[in-house]
Amino acid sequence: MSLLLLQGAALAASDPAYLAELAAKSRALKLAERPEWLKLLHYVPNALAPGVHSLVDSPNFFNAADGRTHPQSELEATLAAFYAQVEETPERQSPQCAFIARRAWLDAELGFDPKRLPRQDCKRYREWYAALNPKGLTLVFASAYLNNPSSMYGHTLLRVDARDQDERTRLLAYTINYAAATDETSGLVFAVRGLLGGYPGTFSVLPYYLKVREYSDLENRDLWEYELAFTPGEVERVLMHAWELRPAYFEYFFFDENCSYHLLRLLQVARPELDLAAPFRWWALPSDTVRAVTGHPGLTAKVVYRPANATLIGQRLAGMSDKERSLTKELSLRSLSASDSRLAALPEDRAAAVLETSHDYVSYRRAIGKSDVPDPAELARELRVARSRVPAPDQAPGVTQPAARPDQGHASARSALGAGRLAGRDFYELRMRPAYHDILDADEGYVRGAQIEFFSLALRHYRGGSTEVESFIPLDILSLSPRDEFFQSWSWRIAAGWRRAFVREGGRPLAGTVEGGMGGAWPAAGGRLLLYAMLDAGTRLHSDLEDDYALGAGGRGGALFDASPRWRMHAYARALRQFLGEHDTPAGLGLENRFSLGRDLALRVDVARSREAGRSFNAASISLLLYH
Amino acid sequence: MKKLVMAVSVLAVFPVAAMAAGENNIGACGWGSKVFEGQGGIAPQVLGATTNGTSGNQTFAITSGTSGCTQDGAVSSNWRTAMFIDGNKQKLARDMSVGSGEALDSLAHLIGVDTQDRAAFNRVAKDNLERIFPSDEVATQQVVVALREVMGADARLARYTAAF
Repeated sequence: MSLLLLQGAALAASDPAYLAELAAKSRALKLAERPEWLKLLHYVPNALAPGVHSLVDSPNFFNAADGRTHPQSELEATLAAFYAQVEETPERQSPQCAFIARRAWLDAELGFDPKRLPRQDCKRYREWYAALNPKGLTLVFASAYLNNPSSMYGHTLLRVDARDQDERTRLLAYTINYAAATDETSGLVFAVRGLLGGYPGTFSVLPYYLKVREYSDLENRDLWEYELAFTPGEVERVLMHAWELRPAYFEYFFFDENCSYHLLRLLQVARPELDLAAPFRWWALPSDTVRAVTGHPGLTAKVVYRPANATLIGQRLAGMSDKERSLTKELSLRSLSASDSRLAALPEDRAAAVLETSHDYVSYRRAIGKSDVPDPAELARELRVARSRVPAPDQAPGVTQPAARPDQGHASARSALGAGRLAGRDFYELRMRPAYHDILDADEGYVRGAQIEFFSLALRHYRGGSTEVESFIPLDILSLSPRDEFFQSWSWRIAAGWRRAFVREGGRPLAGTVEGGMGGAWPAAGGRLLLYAMLDAGTRLHSDLEDDYALGAGGRGGALFDASPRWRMHAYARALRQFLGEHDTPAGLGLENRFSLGRDLALRVDVARSREAGRSFNAASISLLLYH
Repeated sequence: MKKLVMAVSVLAVFPVAAMAAGENNIGACGWGSKVFEGQGGIAPQVLGATTNGTSGNQTFAITSGTSGCTQDGAVSSNWRTAMFIDGNKQKLARDMSVGSGEALDSLAHLIGVDTQDRAAFNRVAKDNLERIFPSDEVATQQVVVALREVMGADARLARYTAAF
């Protein structure tokens, strides 16, 4: 907003001559074109017209009326604003303090004469900075957990590591978090409005322990902490800019301007040459933004893995004997009391392990809203009290870090070139998928059994025929959650898009389809095998179908098997009975294989025998997959 | 003379008043537990996959509920220990039952317990778990009072009770 609207502002003896001098110098040095200025104001090039515009949507971020689109104008108006003095309150501060990063940089470049442009004290900023007590910055990535494919998308936040902090007191650090500011509770409204930029996105500062509780304890997500190799000056630059951003807002868009994108934009002000956000023009996947940081030489110092509660419970159970596991389960169901002799008969450290695991399991069940007893809080208390009477030390097993970090998995986009044969006709095929991971892709850095694919497109050229779209699936999610005695979740799938299939009329049109299914998955063979079974429902729409549609129900079952670390097989059988619209019982069984040739290269070999519209036929294809 | 008496009496009353205000204020200085509910079910997951945002709601609700205890997101130093306890009750109760843990270490750090007294701190907490945490939903003020009492009764730890 222009100076005139600053309530209660007093213009210190403004020095128009000096202002003109500074403005002229800034033009001579071309400061408004420098990356430091462009990054601080979040200017990006316009898509079509020449020039730039700022991604910041809050008017108070700019001092010039045309500040959002004119960097030089904004620079000169900012210099002028530095003469305004506002009495500091929790809601207001002088422009010199509100734009403290700009002040620091402009001062460094232009060399302010304090006699002609008095320097104001920024008490609120100083107190905030002292409370944060910063020494370094860590980029925290909240990863996925087994039962929750949506969490695979990831989330990033920035942790401000304090001077008096060590490995054991990281919980006390503060975090800088970017999120859509709303108290909307309806998931659907949130989703729609969020996709369309209907919320302001803001930066907030919160203690790390609250975020750990949210992600690690409640959402059961593993945390990966990437310590950044910033100098103290660079850390200060980032925090000064975070201070500037706190009152500002951006229109929050889930795809491109989401949490991880704006965090990158904040981080890149640390160094003039850092341009981390540039590759993310159209969309930003959080794990890709982490890749941008780890891929930049010398930016990441150390990576620490912090498993979620549920992950730790799984590791504890894996290290127990069958007897200990069953005692744990019985304790958590109250079919065994904590004072039972069977527990007392165990060696002290094992009794401690059983009590700890049982308590954590009861807490976990409480956190996901599925308690096995009517009074889980009381049961947890009893278990704690029982544990406090056992003198043994903490029985937590050593943390087993996954083989690959989230930034070390295959790249998120995938293209494939292949050839095959369907019902006697040869074809060439091109497949493209901008995001993200399917159940046959290599799991390192991802979650096994979780599939999310967006905008998957398959184009085919049949020998002697034309090129056509074989399928276009904007959304395909599959979650296979292995069930065992301790962890039970439904497995489910949902897919919507257009797919070709034979119809009774004779052709093979591209019909709209919406499908869903629910069932279960079970691990076997020490985890190398995953069996699943689901009930399905589906609908197809096309004018070539009898009555223009078909609605059916059925089922599917299959097995995912890792024959070797590089070779995964998927055997499946499915059938759907279309009982409304065009009557038919499409069915198929097949075998899909993926051979990894490298992190971002693989081979797929698929065969299937299917029946559609009364026709039985074979299909086979081989393709080369490139992840990029 | 009158001014001096007034000044002295105000100064004398001030620490008591501050402490009283502090005691009463703990209830107002909390993170609130209502927002910490996990979102289960499939619908949130599907929407979460496409929109990556179920947790955004909770952040907003938290920041709006702590006026007077935080300034610009940073917890004021008077309330740091109380707020930490308020936000970590389950974790602290659990760590105390074991006699060690990150939350317990962080609490010791906030109170200012020296390295050589940490073992005593952990032991005293573990031995008095039921008194400090009769449940994990006990009021923060009660936890603070119980912790002070328990530490006050221990020769090595009594000197730290003034710190929180």
